[in-house]
Amino acid sequence: MGVDVRGLCVTIGGSRIISDVDLRIVDGERVGLIGSSGSGKSMISKAMLGLLPVNAEPTGSVSMGGVEVLGASERALADLRGRYVGTVFQNPAAALNPVMTVGQQVALPLRLHYDLTRAERAERVRAMLGKVGLPGEAYGKYPHELSGGQQQRVGIATALITSPRFIIADEPTTALDSITQRQIVDLLTSLVDDAGAAMLFITHDFSVLARATTRCYVLDAGRIVESGNTVDLLAAPATAETRRLVGAARSLTLHAGVGEAKEPGESKERSDE
Amino acid sequence: MRFVIHRLALFVVALFGLSIVIFAALRILPGDVASVMAGVNASPARVAQLREQLGLNRSLVEQYGDWMGALVRGDFGTSILTGRSVTALVASRAAITFPLIIVGLLIALAIGLPLGCAAVLARSARVRALFHMMSIIGGAIPALWGGLLLILLFGRGVGLIGILPSQGFPLDGWAMPGRALLSLVLPALSVGIIVGASIMRYTRAALGGFADSGYVDMARSCGMTRTQAVLRVGLRLATPQLVSVIGLTFASMITGVMVIENLFALPGIGNGLVTDVGNRDLIAVQSELFLLAAFFLGIGLIVDVLHRVLDPRMKTATSLSEVSQ
Amino acid sequence: MSGLSIVLRSIWRRAEGRFALIVLALWVVVALVSLVWTPQSLWVTDGYHVWARPSADHWLGTDGTGADVFSWLMAGSLTNLLIVLLTVALCAVWGLALVAAMVARSAALSSVAVVLVDALISIPTVLVALILAVPLGASIVVVVIACGFGYGLNLARIARPAALLAARSSYVESALSNGAGGWRVLVSHIIPNILPVLAVQLSLSAGTAVLAESGLTYLGIGVPSGVPSWGHSLATSVKLINVFPLTVLWPGLIVTVVVVALNVFGDVLRDAIDPVANPALRRVEEGDGKAGRGCMPNGIFETDKVVEASQSCETTENHAGNAAAVAIRGGEHNGGEAYDGR
Repeated sequence: MGVDVRGLCVTIGGSRIISDVDLRIVDGERVGLIGSSGSGKSMISKAMLGLLPVNAEPTGSVSMGGVEVLGASERALADLRGRYVGTVFQNPAAALNPVMTVGQQVALPLRLHYDLTRAERAERVRAMLGKVGLPGEAYGKYPHELSGGQQQRVGIATALITSPRFIIADEPTTALDSITQRQIVDLLTSLVDDAGAAMLFITHDFSVLARATTRCYVLDAGRIVESGNTVDLLAAPATAETRRLVGAARSLTLHAGVGEAKEPGESKERSDE
Repeated sequence: MRFVIHRLALFVVALFGLSIVIFAALRILPGDVASVMAGVNASPARVAQLREQLGLNRSLVEQYGDWMGALVRGDFGTSILTGRSVTALVASRAAITFPLIIVGLLIALAIGLPLGCAAVLARSARVRALFHMMSIIGGAIPALWGGLLLILLFGRGVGLIGILPSQGFPLDGWAMPGRALLSLVLPALSVGIIVGASIMRYTRAALGGFADSGYVDMARSCGMTRTQAVLRVGLRLATPQLVSVIGLTFASMITGVMVIENLFALPGIGNGLVTDVGNRDLIAVQSELFLLAAFFLGIGLIVDVLHRVLDPRMKTATSLSEVSQ
Repeated sequence: MSGLSIVLRSIWRRAEGRFALIVLALWVVVALVSLVWTPQSLWVTDGYHVWARPSADHWLGTDGTGADVFSWLMAGSLTNLLIVLLTVALCAVWGLALVAAMVARSAALSSVAVVLVDALISIPTVLVALILAVPLGASIVVVVIACGFGYGLNLARIARPAALLAARSSYVESALSNGAGGWRVLVSHIIPNILPVLAVQLSLSAGTAVLAESGLTYLGIGVPSGVPSWGHSLATSVKLINVFPLTVLWPGLIVTVVVVALNVFGDVLRDAIDPVANPALRRVEEGDGKAGRGCMPNGIFETDKVVEASQSCETTENHAGNAAAVAIRGGEHNGGEAYDGR
């Protein structure tokens, strides 16, 4: 599903958070949105999903698969969310419903959008849990009984259970340690590719971005300052903000051994338990 | 389970502590208790008899032991003024107070929960401000005044639309349930409106905290509308908090309930207790205070245990305060 | 500009803040004036003008003894002011003592304090008042102790998470290793960090104390008869209901308006005193080179933000884009109880 954002502005309480953002994602493409803390990345993803806070005023146009999102009714947006658009959140501990079991959580989009029997749902959920690499007994567990990496796998399973055409991953690895980060990024990209879906991957970390996307936009103080091929941008950043982000990623890479510059042996990967 | 046993032990210890406080408070009356109780014009013989009857010439430890021993056997003593057993006294008063509290709380919930939810769900800033103002004003009305205003509106005889009884309770109690219930309408409404305002406020605060949370965003991203997500996910997550708060509101509404009982001349627990304190009816007051303390500590206990049952994440923590805040 | 004047200015700038400040200032002024002047002497009782209608002499009429209702209300504002100040002081001292005990290094002390608060928090004000009223009779002391006791417990429970975070911070660790005593840590590290919660909670307690006074006095276990107070006026007005119903309105209206003002003040204060929500305050602190007074990140100033901070490694869009953060929360704060306090 193609996504077309044109001239998006978001104003909250008189101050402009997002200014004139243009962003395009074609079917099956993995695109990055990178910016430092407070640059407004999450606000863009919220605008796309219709999840902006009640006092935010968005203007411009956000079109998803030809459907205009801005100004659409909450009912229409709800039909879109979880069915055609899946979302992976930054911090699964603050997103996964603490009183729902993993099974209930992952089944939620199915329950809301499709008329399936309980057994059919359970079967699909179990298959999905297998795909994201969770053990079978996770089905009946509560989120707080899982590790951070496992929780994010639940988040990914929930986002992908309905085979949506477009995935928004809003800093899906920020709350995780570096080894788990890698596993989650690889899992997410492979599942998205298998499904043939498009993805907007939001992060502040270039090293993660290079792994997850082919093309990216750099956001600074609510404006797009640069865009292009991720690898090219990483190699030759044009603007100060991009240089800063690339620099940060390099120093991170040196310390954490993550990213393109230095590939640690695959054997070093271990389960995130 | 360990938590429940823990909490139950705490309940017993706290009750024991409070019983000592109550006992001590009643023994440090200035002057001689017996002569205060017997009245100014009592003969010395009467005072001596009373002292004997109350066991006041025995040591404090013995007196406390006697009282506790009787309590454990279910004997709450006898009112000195009326000669009735405290158990019977409290039971007849509770038959008025409990229906009043329960109906009042139901009215409060019926007012407070929907309004609190509506305050969170409202999209317009002006409407939200209006709800906010409503809850603040509602919570600022003194119970006495609220009751008075209702009497002025609906009270038979004085009210603008004088349709409801504003004074007293049928002498034959619940023999005629319709009449009895009717005389509870205005008092329960007074309690309900005032408590409803604070329940609304807490609902708005607790639910508001979740309305912008990742949990609600997650539910919406799965395909719920904002209203669905706030009511299904937000309200469920706010439930442990709301249960605590409503439990504690229950405790704090008792002052208002006593005032309302007094205003509407209902012979309930609060009214009776105030009368007994005024009359220095030592034995009755002592046992009544103890029962009241046990009741409220019991509410605290139930609330804590419920809070825990409702939140799967809390099964591993030991103290409520560790996690509830 | 000092922090206090900035806070007051921020409160004044909002309409509801202005309302609260005016009502509270009026209260203090009337209370002080009543010391030297009331329209009629409190103790002049006019047997010929019992239950009189409002007139030029008696602005709100007279009560059953012929005393002037308006003068008693004026004088009552002084008693209520006294009760509120004493209650707030007691509540602050008792609440802080409990907070200090709850975050104490000694595991025994802190768990006893936590358990104590848990057990006693459900004991209502009126029960404490009744226990005290038996030996003391109706008295201002009964009201103050009964209210201060209960509200202190409440305060301790609400302030605990922020206090705990401050007490376990590396700043306190280093202060302790440099030989600072527990008292010093409390005064210079813990209190500054719970100040916003403390201020808000105390102003809410002040409102509740006004309400409690009226209830307890009506029940005969609060302010003794013969001492003017709003509760006394309200209780007197009950007897007027059949004679001159409109007189009933005034004492209750005054209590309601004052309690609303105290609650609104608490709400507005919460925003004004919070460096995250109030950029002016933050500028001063940063300018003074002591950002976040207690040397803690901004996140500590409200319990819900503590949770936020602990839940996200990077507290991203919320703190850096301050204007956004304020706007997102839209001035709609939750009551301070965070769901999940880690």
